[in-house]
Amino acid sequence: MGHRWIDRPLWMLVPGAVAVFVIVVAPVCLTVILSLLDLNVSTLREWLTAPYHGIQNYVNAFTAPSTLGVSLGRSILISSLFSVLTTAVILPIGMFAAFSVHRRFRGSGLVRAIYLVPYVIPTFVTALVARIVFLNQSGALDKLMRGLGIGNGNTYWLIGPHAYWAMQITEIWATWPFIYLMTLAGLQAIPKERFEAAALDGASRRQRMRHVVVPELAGMLKLGVLLSTLFHFGNFTLAYVMFSSPPPSSVEVLPLDAYYNAFSFFNYGEASAIAVVTMVILIIPGYVYIRSTRMTARMI
Amino acid sequence: MAVTTGRVAPARRVSRGVAADAEQLMSPWLCRLVVAVLAVVVLAPVVYMLLLSLTPNSDVAIGAISFATLSVRNYVDMWSAAPVAAGLLHTLIVAGSAAIASVVVGLLAAYPLTRFDFVGRGSYLYTLVAVQTVPGTTLLLPLFAVLSWIQTTLSVNLIGSFWPIIVTYMTFGVPLSTWLLVSYLRTVPRELDEAALIDGCTRLGALRRVMVPIALPAIVAAFVFAFLVGWNDVLFASVFTNDSTQTLAVTLQRFANTTASSGIPLYGELMSAAVVSSVPVVVIYLIVQRFLVHGLGSGSMTGM
Repeated sequence: MGHRWIDRPLWMLVPGAVAVFVIVVAPVCLTVILSLLDLNVSTLREWLTAPYHGIQNYVNAFTAPSTLGVSLGRSILISSLFSVLTTAVILPIGMFAAFSVHRRFRGSGLVRAIYLVPYVIPTFVTALVARIVFLNQSGALDKLMRGLGIGNGNTYWLIGPHAYWAMQITEIWATWPFIYLMTLAGLQAIPKERFEAAALDGASRRQRMRHVVVPELAGMLKLGVLLSTLFHFGNFTLAYVMFSSPPPSSVEVLPLDAYYNAFSFFNYGEASAIAVVTMVILIIPGYVYIRSTRMTARMI
Repeated sequence: MAVTTGRVAPARRVSRGVAADAEQLMSPWLCRLVVAVLAVVVLAPVVYMLLLSLTPNSDVAIGAISFATLSVRNYVDMWSAAPVAAGLLHTLIVAGSAAIASVVVGLLAAYPLTRFDFVGRGSYLYTLVAVQTVPGTTLLLPLFAVLSWIQTTLSVNLIGSFWPIIVTYMTFGVPLSTWLLVSYLRTVPRELDEAALIDGCTRLGALRRVMVPIALPAIVAAFVFAFLVGWNDVLFASVFTNDSTQTLAVTLQRFANTTASSGIPLYGELMSAAVVSSVPVVVIYLIVQRFLVHGLGSGSMTGM
């Protein structure tokens, strides 16, 4: 007995599809087109008639340093390092955090709430606080380091090569709870009986960790690592808000590179080329992510 | 009988002990160490922010914090030092509208996605996931180009108005709320809305009268997540708003770059504005905390 179409109101899908097309699919195609045009402050508003530029924007982006003093290749390196390093450091922190509160104890609710704090504070606020924590001499970190006798308390965290590390430390502080939440969700999905069976069989804590917990968590952790890598590669807010404008070249991640090219120096074509390159780099991890949600979708 | 229960009771106690111990994944002292270290690392900057927000600007600039000078003056003065109140209002309008629109669109899509099997159902869901992996700058640049072109040719002022930014936040809000609602609605038995149909409801009526009340927790969670996208965004807001429409995040970002006429950065007031920007979000998160893990499991937390 087939349903008539009227019984299946598939029109309800239309608003979502239209929204996705208008604000995502069309702009993505348009970025590719813009990246092939000669666009500057005078031609931007008439981009429909701007001269065709071929791959010149890409060549320029890769060969010449941007107005912030960094070439596209260097930006790719900074973004990749930032993304991989952040993920590598937050993975163990988040896992240990989840293990420490998995079994409920008195006050565990409070601890769980505290663990969420860095994650829920808006990134722009974290960046502003970091700006003061990392102030030269008068910031908390330089004061602490001087107190402990490390360095001379004149680290200049917010300029030059140190700026990268200030941003890196801040990002780690702010985002480890993501892995914590993923691990916790994974732990909760493990049937209690599996722990009990292992314990009754006389498995030590270490053996339970190796033979029960890690295999059961593997899927969730892979997803966490993937999402974290994707997410940190696109970091913009922290780099943009934490430093005064223009930011030091050591923090020039890809989105910042594109942003300053477009809105401070009006190299709009080159900025689009950078955006296209960013997207191309993300296609592989993005594809793996979409594949992995297939499992979730099958359950639906 | 008595003997039997006498035997069973200790056995149960033992197994309960095993169960509790089995869930203990690290030795107790390691647990305590991890909790202590993380709590200090997490709370130290937060306490520092709170102290700075109560310290006069001149003291913050030289890094002098003393309990003797703590005062709430920053919380009074910041409203006139920067357009914090206007920023707050604009953020509420923009993030609120985007979140409502996202939930409505998401709910409309989630209903057929969980009730019917049709060609393209899987593709629809995957496309929503794919959308979340598109970097923000890839959307920002063409949207800005199109909007400034419309502005020039039709002389309609779009950049600076709320519309583009609301629509942009929906890019993130719609996939998020669709996934969250799909994962929730699929647990609702079909018999419920079929009963409503038999009682003479239309599909839309069934959705509104039956599904919405049942899915209220998921709707609230979807609203919150979509709302926070707008609350936290700087990238789009810094380009699409102007001085009279800037959101709280942009207000604070600009405030950080201003100094008083005396040449002292207004970092004390900046921190009190930062506290005001965080408190609502932290409170909202703590309320919906239990949905967080759920939302993560359904892959709806990207783009944040």
